[in-house]
Amino acid sequence: MATLLAFGAATAALSAERALRAGQAAPDFALRSVGGPNLRLSEQLGEVVVVAFWSSRCGPCRAHLKELDSLHAALKDQGLIVYAVNVDDDMRAAREYAAGLSLKIPLLLDPGKGVARAYRVDTLPMMFSIDRQGIVRGVRRDDRSGAPSNAGAELRRLLAQ
Amino acid sequence: MLRVARVLIPVMLALAAVSSGAQTPPPTDAAVTPPAAAAPMADPAAAPAAEPAAADPAAAAEPAAAAPDTRALDEQIQTLKKDAVDLNRELFMLEEELLFPANTQVALFLSMDVGEYFAIDTVQVKIDNKEVSNYLYTPREAEALLRGGVQRLYLGNLKVGDHELVAIFTGKGPSERDYRRGAALRFKKSVGAKYLELKISDRQRRAQPEFEIKDWE
Repeated sequence: MATLLAFGAATAALSAERALRAGQAAPDFALRSVGGPNLRLSEQLGEVVVVAFWSSRCGPCRAHLKELDSLHAALKDQGLIVYAVNVDDDMRAAREYAAGLSLKIPLLLDPGKGVARAYRVDTLPMMFSIDRQGIVRGVRRDDRSGAPSNAGAELRRLLAQ
Repeated sequence: MLRVARVLIPVMLALAAVSSGAQTPPPTDAAVTPPAAAAPMADPAAAPAAEPAAADPAAAAEPAAAAPDTRALDEQIQTLKKDAVDLNRELFMLEEELLFPANTQVALFLSMDVGEYFAIDTVQVKIDNKEVSNYLYTPREAEALLRGGVQRLYLGNLKVGDHELVAIFTGKGPSERDYRRGAALRFKKSVGAKYLELKISDRQRRAQPEFEIKDWE
């Protein structure tokens, strides 16, 4: 039992160490979007950006994406940009899933998972708040505090800077 | 290394000067301010007593004397910023010299002419059958290329000898159709840097885009 607990703690510590942390520079990327142009993160330098990772096979991602869409609608006039990055292998499934949600935020496709690897995504959904200088300021995972609606205050603060 | 030291030392000295200036009052202030006048400023209880002194012309000159100090500090900060930018440039050049020495360096550039028959989406580059670059273009980047921008697509090292470069271009061709074309070049790398250019232009006569790889001799 003790060995198991120690193993669990070690795994958690390793996972926390591997994840991209607040204060680190957000890795740049360029991805195709569903039904839109290719998008590059560095072209949004000077804006507050949320990069959220999702998959069509992830249960909580549906609600997560809808919350992100609402958050974007509320804060887009203040300059908030949201990139929802899909990590499915099957791009058709991702496109169909996205079409069913009729979202306004750009949905990006990362079939090679190069961007997810760069951000060291260890769970889905997972979102990163990036400030105007391109620095990661918040990392939220799929738990109660990780819901996009709870990130509102943090994003407003970043938008006010 | 000497160049970096030449830039680094003045920056560090300026940094030290600025930080010491921020922590302690400049000696000139201490010289012109009599200790008796300085004491009431430090004691909040005595502040009302110091108020009449504001009418004194000598005391009124104090803020005016502080203004040049601020200007001097501002100038120091600007000099420091310029030195930091120069240092960054020197370090960048030094890094490139170290990572990509001239005798092994290979640089690949991409340029576009006109673009009536081709809208660029991606360029994949292979050297000796090994992928060295796979670049996805945003509309803004494509527009920059059409306006005459030249992009450095790849910078790396190659051994002296014969090599093969293959570039695969994808995008929208004539009539907005998906378009995919390749271009290849066999080239000889000798001692000294090698510069190659992927050039996309419109061939008006055939109403088709043209892809070529030029060797900057």
